[in-house]
Amino acid sequence: MSVHVSTLQARISGESTASSPLSTEEYFVNMGPQHPSTHGVLRLVLRLDGETVREVVPVLGYIHRGIEKMGEHGNYRQFVHLVDRMDYLSALANNWAVTMVVEKAAKMETNERIEAIRTLVCELQRIQSHLLWWGVFGMDLGGFTPFFYGLRDREQICDIFEKTIGARLTMNYIQPGGVMFDIHPEFVKDVKAFLSYLKPKLVEYDALLTENVIIQERLRGIGRLSAARAIALGATGPVLRASGVAHDLRKSEPYGLYAQVDFDVPVGTDGDCWDRYWVRMEEIRQSIRIIEQLIDNIPEGKTFLVKPAAKIKVPAGIHYSHLETARGVLGVLLVSNGKESPYRIHCRTPNFNNLWCIGEMATGGRIGDLVAMLSSIDIVVPDIDR
Amino acid sequence: MGVITDKLPGVLEPLPGGSVLVTAVDQLINWSRSNSLWPLTFGTSCCAIEVMMATGAARHDLARFGAEVARPSPRQADLLVIAGTIVKRMAPRLRTLYEQMAEPRYVMATGSCAICGGPFMYHSYTTIRGADEIIPVDVYVPGCPPRPEAFFYGLLTLQKMIKEGESIRHPGERRRPVLAALPEGMTLDDIRKEMQDLLSHDANVTMADAVADGAHYSAELKDF
Repeated sequence: MSVHVSTLQARISGESTASSPLSTEEYFVNMGPQHPSTHGVLRLVLRLDGETVREVVPVLGYIHRGIEKMGEHGNYRQFVHLVDRMDYLSALANNWAVTMVVEKAAKMETNERIEAIRTLVCELQRIQSHLLWWGVFGMDLGGFTPFFYGLRDREQICDIFEKTIGARLTMNYIQPGGVMFDIHPEFVKDVKAFLSYLKPKLVEYDALLTENVIIQERLRGIGRLSAARAIALGATGPVLRASGVAHDLRKSEPYGLYAQVDFDVPVGTDGDCWDRYWVRMEEIRQSIRIIEQLIDNIPEGKTFLVKPAAKIKVPAGIHYSHLETARGVLGVLLVSNGKESPYRIHCRTPNFNNLWCIGEMATGGRIGDLVAMLSSIDIVVPDIDR
Repeated sequence: MGVITDKLPGVLEPLPGGSVLVTAVDQLINWSRSNSLWPLTFGTSCCAIEVMMATGAARHDLARFGAEVARPSPRQADLLVIAGTIVKRMAPRLRTLYEQMAEPRYVMATGSCAICGGPFMYHSYTTIRGADEIIPVDVYVPGCPPRPEAFFYGLLTLQKMIKEGESIRHPGERRRPVLAALPEGMTLDDIRKEMQDLLSHDANVTMADAVADGAHYSAELKDF
């Protein structure tokens, strides 16, 4: 009996010979829906050959709540409440996406103050979302300290939101015609204090996780996604930008006050897990830049330009509008028949398209890296299932 | 040791060279169970961020209540926190998770969705209206999502329930603590009637009434 020894490279590329006495058989492993690293109730069916992943098939529907269908039963203002619960880490951006399409279709006007407040709170929430991702990413890779650090600093943003908005997570703040409440008198002071607190902390984060040799070894070259495949799969947000495509709606189709501020779009080169990590860390810094430019000169004006109980009617037709959340492009398609509630409403959510990149990334890789890849996409499962 | 022996249920008899604890087995077991609850890491949606992550992190620190040992496997956990909406497809899995947990097991339903369906109560074709349709629930924590402090109140309620609760002779029989009493002279029917009045009042609002009622809105409305 002879023993066939294959090299590591041959095993990774999946060319092990079936005639070898030590050849393996393909088998299936079910990951989820109850799994600590799937960030919710996502289920992945894995086809494995030894430790090599041959195929990843996401199975969805474990948190499908029918938000789009529910939208047809209420008016536009009520639908804003529901989208909070889709991507709850970008709740304000979700509010804004619906608000934007309704305002565009019904030709409602806003003023500079409203747009400034919207831009500010959305950028604050982008930092909040990325901080939470950073903590969870560290925890998925086996370190518990980042989780405590990330959520400790996230709590401060929650405090700022609580003063102005009254909620920590599901905000329902941005409404068609304005924002629900004016900002708290201490908002500007709190945000400035938080930014000066966060900047040295980012250096600390780099020392703790970014410059860690183990983290770099685990992330570099893992889960590569080429720019062509990323575009073909419809990936957006940091996942697309890490693959080298500088696509950011804040730059290409500026909304809010993004046209007035100066910021860079961080872009990766390889499209591996490390690039996705780096792009998000850089986005935190860019968000700080945006907030710093806007926080000192919030214009004066009203914060709600329509009657609080006004019935909004959208002209019949198909309307579409999109913006950049912390995870990518969120588009809202609205089919209206001229009544108070939409005829059909559809959300093109970023997480749904980003999730399908996992098949491209993980195939041919090792199962031990799968959690790192999944965590680097930063999925929120209720946004996938809606 | 002083702190630990002070908190033990029972009578501590001092003796030369130590002391003897006179207690009932039930009391001691319930006391130990209530102070080392191991939650299952289970979260379906928004509540998982507040109830499972923010509570476990630095500021709120679930470890103060002895419940920070979150286990991903239901076989090692004895507290199931239903954090988030349960939809029809997830319901059999939730039941399976519950069945896999060892006795005694405790269930907390956190958030409106797990209590009654919450914002997805009407017009949703998939949501289960309340997780107690699938598994028995011991403590409900309302909120959308509940704050971490609300979750801690629910956890302390559960601990109180366990301490007062079942005995080894009658496992599974739990006594719920009375946490709030009705004010004197008030009956449940009075509350129901008041709520119905309020609901019918809220359902029929005209702009004129709204202006007359809310002084804070009327100042803004004048500008239009």
